[in-house]
Amino acid sequence: MGLISGIVMGMLFGIGLMAGWKHMMEYRNKKRLAKAVDVKLLSSLSREDIKKICGETFPCWISFPVYEQVKWLNKQLNKLWPFIADAAEAIIKESVEPLLEDYRPPGISSLKFSELSLGNVAPKIEGIRVQSLKEGQITMDIDLRWGGDPSIILAVGAAVVASIPIQLKDLQVFTVVRAIFQLADEIPCISAVVVALLAEPKPRIDYTLKAVGGSLTAIPGLSDMIDDTVTSIVTDMLQWPHRIVVPIGGIPVDTSDLELKPVGKLTVTVIKASGLKNMELIGKSDPYVVLHVRPLFKVRTKVIDNNLNPVWNETFELIAEDKETQSLIFEVFDEDIGDDKKLGTVKLPLIDLQPDVSKEMELRLLPALDMLKIKDKKDRGTLAIKVFYHEFNKEEQSAAFEEEKRMVEAKKKLKEQGVVGSTIEAVDSAASAVGSGIGAGASIVGSGLGAVGTGLGAVGSGISRTGRFIGRTITRQSGLTRGSVSNIQVTEENGTAKLHSM
Amino acid sequence: MGFVSVILGFCGFGVGISTGMVLGYYLFIHFQPCDVKDPVIRPLVEQDSQSLLRLLPEIPLWVKNPDYDRIDWLNKFLEVMWPYLDKAICKTAKNIATPIIAEQIPKYKIESVEFESLTLGSLPPTFQGMKVYLTEEKELIMEPSLKWAGNPNVTIALRAFGLKATVQVVDLQVFAQPRITLKPLVPSFPCFAKILVSLMEKPHVDFGLKLAGADLMSIPGLYQFVQELIKDQVANMYLWPKTLEVEILDPTKAMKKPVGILHVKVLRALKLRKKDLLGASDPYVKLKLTETKAPSKKTTVKHKNLNPEWNEEFSMVVKDPQTQALELHVYDWEQIGKHEKMGMNVVPLKELPPDEPKTLTLDLLKTMDPNDVQNDKMRGQIVVELTYKPFKEEDLPKEIENSSAVQKAPEGTPPGGGVLVVTVHEAQDVEGKHHTNPYVRIIFRGEERKTKQIKKNRDPRWAEEFTFMLEEPPLKDKLHVEVLSTSTRIGLLHPKETLGYVDISLADVVSNKRINEKFHLIDSKNGRIQIELQWQTS
Repeated sequence: MGLISGIVMGMLFGIGLMAGWKHMMEYRNKKRLAKAVDVKLLSSLSREDIKKICGETFPCWISFPVYEQVKWLNKQLNKLWPFIADAAEAIIKESVEPLLEDYRPPGISSLKFSELSLGNVAPKIEGIRVQSLKEGQITMDIDLRWGGDPSIILAVGAAVVASIPIQLKDLQVFTVVRAIFQLADEIPCISAVVVALLAEPKPRIDYTLKAVGGSLTAIPGLSDMIDDTVTSIVTDMLQWPHRIVVPIGGIPVDTSDLELKPVGKLTVTVIKASGLKNMELIGKSDPYVVLHVRPLFKVRTKVIDNNLNPVWNETFELIAEDKETQSLIFEVFDEDIGDDKKLGTVKLPLIDLQPDVSKEMELRLLPALDMLKIKDKKDRGTLAIKVFYHEFNKEEQSAAFEEEKRMVEAKKKLKEQGVVGSTIEAVDSAASAVGSGIGAGASIVGSGLGAVGTGLGAVGSGISRTGRFIGRTITRQSGLTRGSVSNIQVTEENGTAKLHSM
Repeated sequence: MGFVSVILGFCGFGVGISTGMVLGYYLFIHFQPCDVKDPVIRPLVEQDSQSLLRLLPEIPLWVKNPDYDRIDWLNKFLEVMWPYLDKAICKTAKNIATPIIAEQIPKYKIESVEFESLTLGSLPPTFQGMKVYLTEEKELIMEPSLKWAGNPNVTIALRAFGLKATVQVVDLQVFAQPRITLKPLVPSFPCFAKILVSLMEKPHVDFGLKLAGADLMSIPGLYQFVQELIKDQVANMYLWPKTLEVEILDPTKAMKKPVGILHVKVLRALKLRKKDLLGASDPYVKLKLTETKAPSKKTTVKHKNLNPEWNEEFSMVVKDPQTQALELHVYDWEQIGKHEKMGMNVVPLKELPPDEPKTLTLDLLKTMDPNDVQNDKMRGQIVVELTYKPFKEEDLPKEIENSSAVQKAPEGTPPGGGVLVVTVHEAQDVEGKHHTNPYVRIIFRGEERKTKQIKKNRDPRWAEEFTFMLEEPPLKDKLHVEVLSTSTRIGLLHPKETLGYVDISLADVVSNKRINEKFHLIDSKNGRIQIELQWQTS
């Protein structure tokens, strides 16, 4: 009897124990889950959430800007800056110098850093925003402001003077840096980082140039040239949609998707302009048009002398990489001895174009693209063009990509040989004919100037100077520098030369 | 009779309990699903006041404390990255564990051990606030508040004697507040040499451990016991002041400390080319190590000699024998005008055997460019003897080990005395009325020392060190530190200005051995200067 009742009691007890255990398990499991949910919720709070939690006692030190503030990071950055500056200087020097070489304007024979120190004011990160715009990618926007005191001295070598030290002062950089992280399944989980400057708000890079131990006016147009170089580097290398792709951590990943690729071809016909502004004292302007999508690939029309309503009817082909953000930019110049003057410019955003539809339009010229600071609202005439946009399919795209690569290579080679000194010089076949035409024209002018130069040198002073002049004449005859630029050099070398060339 | 029945009753109870438990196990536990589900997360706004109340103790620190910063952007980053991290970490863990398991199991007569499932779950770790501390030392201190309440599922299946048992870890929760210190800061990427991690408080750890489906952690008492055990174990290892140290860079390399000395003996040059119009050249040799800022060294000028004999010795400090090289330039001295180059050559230091004199005869070249046609011309030769002496291990300065520790005074310090080391680090907000080209003058017992002048800078950094050898501790002395500025223009107006000064009593330094502080400058609006003082005794 005892045995059976014992067994029954025992069984009941055992089952009860198990039931209790199960209950406990469920309870704890629930509790842990609830906590996990809470922690998850609290990891990204919004203003409403905090209001709900805190009620009346909303802490006043909390704000929710679009770009999240990172005071702690700034504190650390400040402290770390002298060390970063030290470490970064060599790297910057190494990576930027070839860039300067690539984008070097004609008339400057070399562009190098002779001193580079980043100063002791650290950049400030105003805020960080993280988004996930695309599957497998994290987009991080960093609002960066740097009003630094770096000491950057560029050694600018013009053809005449060996090297002029030029200091970049009061550098200010305000920009939003976009970093896109491509995620991967292997540690460190990031296969590549894409870095670019957001085009909107437009990156602002301000600085003043100062010639060390002299004045900048010694070489007219030099500061413009450097400005131009910096702007083209920034807009053509860094500004969205252009980007730098950095593969990370030894994971062999195809990053070609991240790179900027040609997406379409623009066939642009510059028909005519009308009502251009007259810039010359005697006669009328001698207009030509420079057009580009990327500043690296500029093409230009013929010069039409003495005409304010010129008709060009020239057709160019340009490559577009990002239809959403890129624009076709036209600049009308007046060819002149000395600096060519800008008659007007106009921007045509590619997003306005319909693919495979030919469109004729008349664009109003503006004094500058950035109209914020310009008061002059006078009419600058119009430019009539015809545009045809063709979107590439897969094969065409890869072909165009190869072609572009080849072109860049070829240009680099030419530059090494000293044949093409300028980024403006023609790129594609149609334009290159025009380009060489101009080159030839310029070379005649140039050699003429050179002759004057040699004459001067011989009359003027010393054997060595003549030697230099002759040297310069030879380079000119290879047809690289435009007449205008070589003229500047003459002006610079010897004050009296100015009289001859004008 | 009754006695026997009681005994039987007890026996029956024993048997009953075991059967009951087995029955209960199959009834309640065995058929429970073992997989981990993703929790349903409803937005906070929809929650009732009950669950809000439950939320209160978990409110992030950045909401509660103004000195914590919100880093929700990092949370977002982690959230997007988490699925990838999860896969990557699990894959790596499996790859590491599999060979270890394979090696271990034969010992225990276990047939196989394998991961039945291994995932870290869908919930990423979160940072609920970040606090940083600013000190005067070369270090960065961060204190993130890390909370990971995840839903990982790690199931390990054991097979032995034909039976299979599973161990499952679920719902791991770790809340910790680590202090991460990056130090020392060095001038090469990533700009710090070591990461030190230590926990400021005992971490909170909670998890479920299921053995054959039954959660052992929910046995009352056991959970508390295990949790305490883990806390204590972790605390023993990493609770502050104990630290986990991870070395990122070799600090000696990163700091670019000298690692050896190069002895150069310039013997002679042969068949140099004539450069001067009248008479022979006047050659001399300039020596320089690459990647250093030290000025180059020069031999004497041998006038009117195309085969000069110098036999002059120089020694240079080497910081990195792998990348540095010795540059030799032969110049033609001129009374007036630029000294003309006669030729050059470069000797990479890695080609030199250590501690062994090596005599080299080098052709003089125009440039180091091998394609340069001008190099074909004979420019003569130079003969040098080079000896690279690396420092022995014991010679290497040990201070990197602990940069904040006070060094021993060098030998020759008088007994009872010591060395006072004054390091002028930097100043902030110093401003002169007419010019701000600050330099620091320190005066101690009438002895005056000066730093370099930094032009046009309100926040100059000097990082210069001065030493004073003393017979006795400077208990009653004061150190006068003065920031001065001189005009860069030559003019009679305002040639010199005082930007501020401070007198530091040295008694504190003697008792503390080391003080590193920012002092407010007197006679200055807002200026501060950071001075490090060390009292080194033998």
